[in-house]
Amino acid sequence: MSRLRAFAGVSATAVIALVGWSCETNRTALAPSTGKPLFHFFEFQCQPLKMTGGGRIDYPPGSADKNPPASHEYETFGAHVMASGQFDQNGVCVADKGELEWVDHRPEMELNGHPLNLHATAVTFAELAVDTDCSDGAVHWGGKLRVQNTGQENLDFEVWDCDNGEPGVGHDGFAIRVIEPIDGLGDYAVMCPDPSLPPAEPSCTLTGGNRQFHPTH
Amino acid sequence: MKTDSIRRAVRFVGLVLPLTWAPRAVVAQGTATCSSYGVGVTTATVNQLLASAVVSAGELMAQGQAGDVAVPGFVTAQNVFAIANGGGDDGSDAVSSATLGAVNILNGLITADGVVAIATSTIGNVDAEGSSLANLVVNGVQVDDPAPNTRMDLDGVGYVVFNEQIRTSTGITVNMIHVVLQQNVLGVTQTTGHIRVGSASSSVN
Repeated sequence: MSRLRAFAGVSATAVIALVGWSCETNRTALAPSTGKPLFHFFEFQCQPLKMTGGGRIDYPPGSADKNPPASHEYETFGAHVMASGQFDQNGVCVADKGELEWVDHRPEMELNGHPLNLHATAVTFAELAVDTDCSDGAVHWGGKLRVQNTGQENLDFEVWDCDNGEPGVGHDGFAIRVIEPIDGLGDYAVMCPDPSLPPAEPSCTLTGGNRQFHPTH
Repeated sequence: MKTDSIRRAVRFVGLVLPLTWAPRAVVAQGTATCSSYGVGVTTATVNQLLASAVVSAGELMAQGQAGDVAVPGFVTAQNVFAIANGGGDDGSDAVSSATLGAVNILNGLITADGVVAIATSTIGNVDAEGSSLANLVVNGVQVDDPAPNTRMDLDGVGYVVFNEQIRTSTGITVNMIHVVLQQNVLGVTQTTGHIRVGSASSSVN
């Protein structure tokens, strides 16, 4: 037994030394270039994926800092999407399933005396974004939704969804745009197209909750 | 050139191949559960849970909502939303939230016009970030941004805990307003009920 241990010890030392020798010093390494525009969510791949979670955004401005509670300038949500990485006949990377529940608590967004409440009725596409700074994964997905306050249906929506490590607050991001106007409000989007806001525009930074990317399901 | 090739080969054998030997059990597999509700009242004669959402292990999402809720004599509130999100079959994350507006407890003894409770659990992290109370007033006195587990006595009623955070080894429960109703019976203080407003729980194990 002691011979075996000695052999294992010598072997491990030899392997470590060998791997260490094989790693060359990179004397020409440079820091990432800065000062140039950063663009995200423009390159996609159709892959199996899953994103889950929910939380809170304080938009505007959508940074990592909470707005004063009395301002009621915040949004809360739950959302998930799953996809198998399959294209349909139109070349759309289809989602297998998904849900979105979105509540905008801003007084100026109230409809019929209640906070704006969007509810997805179908999630139709989901594609992996491969050009973001989201360390764990990013997904662009969307479908159809209903405005619960008024019953207005079949509005197209898209979200930009970013898992940028743990914890979610201050790191992960989420953004939503309703493509057709909402009756009584007009165009609606909670997007943060500011490259200086981490982690990846146009997603806004979570002030609560978490987004969790699962590479496959 | 030959040395470079040998180095590349050694790097591949030493660094890449061991990764392929990692057992599949290394991939995190857990059980995620979460729930939230707007208002909960339990006494000897009342047992109500309003606007609730529950996600069991393996499930992804649930939600409940109500425009106006009332448990007469105890609580009224408006625009109540409860959303619970699990991680599905691999259960590595859970987030739940409860939000309310225009809360009135015990006929004006406690009021708030915005309540947010968020409970987040992932493997290795648990927090209540994003939770908040807006314009909280207790017995006519404004209370700003109470720290976690702030307790105040309520004469003749019992006591209240604001931003109550109960942590376990796997998760967290957040009760933004928790009134403990008490009575003095023959010199002994007895708990007679609970009012919870804005409650969110999540757990991953």
